[in-house]
Amino acid sequence: MRVPISWLSEFIDLRLGPEEVAEILTMGGIEVENIDEPYKNLGELITVEILEISFPEDLKDLVLCKVTDGKEVFNVFTTAKEEVRPGLIVGLAKPESLTFGYHKVEVKTVKGYKSLGTFLSPYEAGVGEEKSKLLIFTPDTPIGVSIYEVLNLKEKVLELAVTPNRGDVLSIFGVARELSLLTNWELNPPKINPFYSQGEDFLGKIEILDPEGCFRYAGRYIKGIEVKDSPFYLQKRLWLCGLRPINNIVDITNYVLLELGQPLHAFDWEKVENQTVIVRKAKKGEKVLTLDGIERILSEEDLVIADFSKPMVIAGVIGGETTGVSSETKNIFIESAWFNPKYIRRSSQRHKITTESSYRFERKVDPEGVILALLRATELIFKITSVETFSKVLDVYPKVFEPPKILLTKTKLKKYLGFEIPFKEVEEILKRIGNIDKKSEEEIEVIPFSYRQDLSIPEDLIEEIARIYGYEKIPITLPKSVLKAKGLAKELKLEKKLKEVLTALGFLEVITYSFIDPKSLNKLNFSDEDFRNNFIELANPLSANLSIMRTTLLPGLIEVACYNFFREINSLKIFEIGKVFFRDSQTLAQEITNLGILLMGNRGREEVWYEEVQRFDLFDLKGYLEELFLVLNLPIQFKLNSSEPFLKKGLSYDLILEGHKVGYAGEMKNLVLKEFDLKTQVLVAEIILDPILEKISLETKAFKRPPKFPSTFRDLTCIVNKNIKIGEMLEYIEELKVPYLEEVRCLKIYEGPPIAKGEKSVSLRFIYRAEDRTLRDEEVNSIQEDLVQKILIKFLAKPR
Amino acid sequence: MEIEKLREEIFEEFSLIKNLSELEAFRVKYLGKKGLLTSYLKELKNLPLEERKSLGRELNELKEKLEELLKQKEREILFQEEDRELEIDLTLTGKKRDLGNLHPLTQVIEELSQIFIRLGFEVVTGPEIESDYYNFTALNIPEWHPARDMQATFYLKNGALLRTHTSPMQIRAMLERTPPLRIIAPGKVYRCDADIRHSPMFHQIEGLMVDEEVSFSDLKGILTYFAQETFGEKTKVRFRPSYFPFTEPSLEMDIGCVICETKGCRVCGGSGWLEILGAGMVHPEVFKAVNYDISKWQGFAFGLGIERVAMIKYEIEDIRLFFENHFLFLNSFK
Ligand SMILES: [Zn+2]
Repeated sequence: MRVPISWLSEFIDLRLGPEEVAEILTMGGIEVENIDEPYKNLGELITVEILEISFPEDLKDLVLCKVTDGKEVFNVFTTAKEEVRPGLIVGLAKPESLTFGYHKVEVKTVKGYKSLGTFLSPYEAGVGEEKSKLLIFTPDTPIGVSIYEVLNLKEKVLELAVTPNRGDVLSIFGVARELSLLTNWELNPPKINPFYSQGEDFLGKIEILDPEGCFRYAGRYIKGIEVKDSPFYLQKRLWLCGLRPINNIVDITNYVLLELGQPLHAFDWEKVENQTVIVRKAKKGEKVLTLDGIERILSEEDLVIADFSKPMVIAGVIGGETTGVSSETKNIFIESAWFNPKYIRRSSQRHKITTESSYRFERKVDPEGVILALLRATELIFKITSVETFSKVLDVYPKVFEPPKILLTKTKLKKYLGFEIPFKEVEEILKRIGNIDKKSEEEIEVIPFSYRQDLSIPEDLIEEIARIYGYEKIPITLPKSVLKAKGLAKELKLEKKLKEVLTALGFLEVITYSFIDPKSLNKLNFSDEDFRNNFIELANPLSANLSIMRTTLLPGLIEVACYNFFREINSLKIFEIGKVFFRDSQTLAQEITNLGILLMGNRGREEVWYEEVQRFDLFDLKGYLEELFLVLNLPIQFKLNSSEPFLKKGLSYDLILEGHKVGYAGEMKNLVLKEFDLKTQVLVAEIILDPILEKISLETKAFKRPPKFPSTFRDLTCIVNKNIKIGEMLEYIEELKVPYLEEVRCLKIYEGPPIAKGEKSVSLRFIYRAEDRTLRDEEVNSIQEDLVQKILIKFLAKPR
Repeated sequence: MEIEKLREEIFEEFSLIKNLSELEAFRVKYLGKKGLLTSYLKELKNLPLEERKSLGRELNELKEKLEELLKQKEREILFQEEDRELEIDLTLTGKKRDLGNLHPLTQVIEELSQIFIRLGFEVVTGPEIESDYYNFTALNIPEWHPARDMQATFYLKNGALLRTHTSPMQIRAMLERTPPLRIIAPGKVYRCDADIRHSPMFHQIEGLMVDEEVSFSDLKGILTYFAQETFGEKTKVRFRPSYFPFTEPSLEMDIGCVICETKGCRVCGGSGWLEILGAGMVHPEVFKAVNYDISKWQGFAFGLGIERVAMIKYEIEDIRLFFENHFLFLNSFK
């Protein structure tokens, strides 16, 4: 909300400058976000001297002036033939600047003559009423400087961010009242001449048919007025607050809204059928053409102000075109009401309009401020236009507002704040926000003033006391409490462990959005029955490509790969741990935590000089996963040839934990990557962590004692058929349960000359160790010989 | 034979040895099977006893001395041999190794969590897809409340919503536990907003302490401790009254701008202060929603944005950087 200092000072004796006032308000809980200087925002409005004038024939009514701002000489033309003469100093708006009333100045060209700006009238400069004359300065005025500097015009406007509980601060007077509460500076409340409370008997009717939606409705008519432009001072105040002047009647309702915070509405009284104003719920399907030019279809939840036959306005939200004030209007009816904030908010949300009026009604207006605003508007109308007759105020107020009685005890206050403010001081503070009744030395009852609709429970009073006393004066202590705190939950421990291991393996962690593009699931080629198609859609996504909740981490990881690849980062080794979300018939959603891994490009960097660049391959990925499973002590198996449609079958695994699939790992299909616009190979893996969490133990493991006796090894290089799988060979050897055989490693595989086609050479290393002694060579030799024979026979192998 | 002369000759020749092959030649010449010294020693037996004794001792001493010197010389040469210049370009850089590391937001969450863990807080987590009840109603934000405007909400087609703050965790944690309690709840939150200061997904940490006497002064104390642990011991803090429907009294905490030290600069918008978190005493309506006895229990809650803290700590101006995951960005938080 915008609060011009000049307007504010009408209601309070400001003893400090705008910056200090802003600081006081901010520290009092009314945040001042900025101090604006609206004149400065207009742009370059400067003084210039007219050097020469001429009347080129082809310019007809225009006079061409050669002017200078002290630096340059340029042309400006104007219609003010009578006024301009050489030597005159006038105000000029340069191109791109704004004049008062939001008119943007542009370079004008007529018949090849260019005008670099416009001479200003006092009105256009925003300094006076006069529209048809030029703003002229005395001959000693310096040229090329801002006209506001010359006129010493400084309007500072506080920009407030008012929290939604403080409807009472949404007006100039409200801010003054709040400032007075915080500082004790003297407040000058608006005073209205009792004359404006009088008037003839109200000829017409006001009926509230929905007392739940409208608690109070007051109005009066004023006849014989003239609708025209508002006087300058009024327009200027609206302008300072960011509103556009419309006509004097509408401007006055806006002026009072800004000044007192009570929204008003003016009707053309002649267009109100049977002079009957009815507050009721709309009927389903009723329509009203609102002031923003939109025909709105109403529902039974909208509250309307209607006449005999039609809804005229959406109550408290927006006025109607047909009954609004126009230039022909002679008689008006002014409404000042107190509507139920819930009704206003509902309508405002349904019709997606927020107005100055709905904004204030939603945040609660002062029930006892309704009449004051009506009288204030009457007073202003009398001041600026002629009035023939006016009616008394008709005030329909079926149930008078009853403020809450709040009981505050000294003990509670002390316990809540953690220290004691002298009760005398507490009393002084409370007196400034309501009527108090001191029940005892221990208890005070407070009836807040009617505008303080935010106060209803003792805790509200405690905040007021703390706030006015000053948050900064409240001491800083640390809580005394029983020491008891649990360690990390298992799922957090697992996440932490995974992050530790993966970063130790050189991975970077990424965080991607939880929402993805539904198209990315198509690109991954999931079948219709795939569980990952069971996604949840957003009702109001930011964009189509962020419109569903992810069911796999893969699209996010691929996007990171693409983002980096386009930026010449060709190698990447990343992981993400995050939630995926599935539709669930029983609950809001099923949330599951996944781990995703992606490898792209080279292992290590590209600068290996004399060696070959090593690209990540499937066995890098498998190696990282094996390391991870080893650390976590997880019996996860690699089932050959994954069923995932986006992985190359021959270069992938499904990850199996105790017979259940918990993930996948492999190289992505080129076609899929192409559809994601990624022109390089990537390897990916994804693991569902929830089933792992059930199986895993994160408790301390017993340590493994290093062997006491040395091991010894034997190597075997043999030639086998190409199709024989190393895994099968190792499995076979394991099943033989060879004595003292600790480990078998495959050292090397070789295909090509001199090995015959269709065959390969395999080198295995066998490591033997006894727990209780050093093995003798002969002993090992005989075991090994026996084993070699079995292998050669089993796999039809030839020793090499 | 002139033993003196021989010694002189030998040592002179020894001093000229420059490499292993010369050394070996020398050894063969004097100490080899047919070496000069060896043959002298062999000839000793032909000499008379007296002469044999004295000459024998001298020759043996010379031999031992020589062997000792040769050993030393050999070590010296071997040392020098390894210092010779090689045809290797020492100007090449080392082979780069990529260290792994955690995302900066994870690092900040971890750092902040540790501060509160030191104060005896328990870390809890909860769902990111929430019901209107937990996200709003139970937190004293009924359907018609204008405070709902403070948080632009993502709704899901199944009627649920993406939590707009971590505050629903207050409700869930209180329902799952009995007071007294101290929890923090870090996690992802969502609001439909996107520009350089707002991300549709971001992170918060919620804090909640409920006990019999925990007070507003204690809240100020905890938050001051937190700010100084996070931003440095000398960090200034200030507390402003504010409004959240689920706390009363409410406050916002600012820290003295880390860039200009409260003098005012572009980062703090000239005010000298940076808004860092919102907090307050738990509203009695919230306690009622979880059936806590408000005559016995009171407490405070606070919530802060992780990205905001990270942006201040690392002077990051654009929030989107966190979610673009540029390799070089991620790599700069080692
Ligand atoms: Zn600063």
